[in-house]
Amino acid sequence: MTDTAIAGLGMTELGKVYGRSPRRLAADAVRGAAADAGLALADLDGLIVSSGMSGSPGIELAGTLGLRDLRLLTQMNSFGATTGAMVSYAAAMIQSGAASAVACAFADAPLSPERSSGSAYHRDAPEWHGLGGLNAALGFRSVNAFYALAARRHMERYGTTSEQLGAIAVSTRQWAARNPLAQMRDPISLDDHQRSRWVVEPLHLLDCCLVSNGGIAVIVTSAERARDLAQPPVHVWGWGQGHPGHRMARGSDFGLTTGATISGPAALKMAGITASEITVCQIYDCYTYTTLVSLEDYGFCAKGEGGAFAASGALGPGGALPTNTGGGQLSAYYMWGMTPLSEAVIQARGQGGERQVARNDVTLVSGNGGILDHHSTLIVSPHAKGR
Amino acid sequence: MAAGEPSPPTGARIGTVRRDGRTDVFFDGAAADRLMIRRCESCGRWFAPDASGCPECGTEELDWAEASGEAVLVSWAVAHSRTADPAPLALVELAEGPWMYGRLDAVAAPREGLPLQVCFVHPDEGESYPLFKEPA
Ligand SMILES: [Zn+2]
Repeated sequence: MTDTAIAGLGMTELGKVYGRSPRRLAADAVRGAAADAGLALADLDGLIVSSGMSGSPGIELAGTLGLRDLRLLTQMNSFGATTGAMVSYAAAMIQSGAASAVACAFADAPLSPERSSGSAYHRDAPEWHGLGGLNAALGFRSVNAFYALAARRHMERYGTTSEQLGAIAVSTRQWAARNPLAQMRDPISLDDHQRSRWVVEPLHLLDCCLVSNGGIAVIVTSAERARDLAQPPVHVWGWGQGHPGHRMARGSDFGLTTGATISGPAALKMAGITASEITVCQIYDCYTYTTLVSLEDYGFCAKGEGGAFAASGALGPGGALPTNTGGGQLSAYYMWGMTPLSEAVIQARGQGGERQVARNDVTLVSGNGGILDHHSTLIVSPHAKGR
Repeated sequence: MAAGEPSPPTGARIGTVRRDGRTDVFFDGAAADRLMIRRCESCGRWFAPDASGCPECGTEELDWAEASGEAVLVSWAVAHSRTADPAPLALVELAEGPWMYGRLDAVAAPREGLPLQVCFVHPDEGESYPLFKEPA
């Protein structure tokens, strides 16, 4: 079986980046990723484009880039799980021989100079229509409300506390302080977390991710080819997806478990390892709670003990399981699943600078989409599979 | 209220709700203090009011049927905004089985499994709507 690797990483400026459309940002990211790999755009024979929130490009991105004679071109959407899905599809296509060098791109530009940062993900209106409108009128104005219900259920069932969620905000910010790409680098304390305003109780402002403009792309190719390219290969050892289809009815595990219970074991099995061999985690952290529940579901601690695990200091610099080492979506930048993947690539290459972890042998990359509806997992490493 | 302090549930001032042509049964029911939810005629399963079909038997047309109005609390949250009072949000499990998003009315100490009963607000402007409160 052909082994695969991530050979290129392209990142535009991220954050309050105005004046460039999502299509332009995506094109710039693909150009950057190809150049990073030491490839010409003409060397690409595949392009996969992620959905986004605000006018993200579709397959017309190939035309924008002038790509010709592609053997793979598609748009994919599993919300926050899309990046893992894109990379695994690219890898499978390369393994099958159907493609040889595939760019996977995400770009979004929900921020504008006139709009507050949350407005792209927030509804407001003078009146509301129908049942969907009724929920909005009652106060379900953004995804924050649904994640707050999920987090509260976990807190109620397992005794998880706001302070334990705060420990994740603090450790993630400690990493961000060491990342020049991060939007929020000023250190925060647990007290800062507790004093930050409520967004939707039990979620404080510092439990919630940023909103960012920008684009990120990666190039996936065979491990053999990647060895001859410009950057150290980041080998793709395994992947998986999990879509639990929580029925919103009696007996549902909503808020208690995620699709990582499906995607995690699948990815680990393909990689031929157990969770105990993971040395770094890059988790989709749209909320502190998402980090916590995902770590439980991957088996890094027992179900219900994610709060104590986070509060132990395991996730921060110097901890036993360095997690979200670039500052994650909470403190660095919100590029859907490209946030965890980009940091995984940087760490696996040993290019993390001040934040580089010593033990970068095996990284788990996690995506999460919808309201805990869609999960994807990648296992990546600087070492060839089966080392 | 100091930031970080749990806030008490507040009343039920919400935005104005209009019907959209597809939900007359629900809002007519609310106006008459009846909670109308969806039911699959083929297999008898109950669904939330916004369900669009039965995944069990494939039926796309669900009937409307009156729920008992009894529920238990699954989870809750309080939405804050600059322009409105804090909103005590709820996810409830109806006695018939489906979960439903809603809003609490004067529930002082919410907890998982707390028994609830639907009640209705009839505003001067816009449609009537349900809230969930503790049974008398
Ligand atoms: Zn049915």
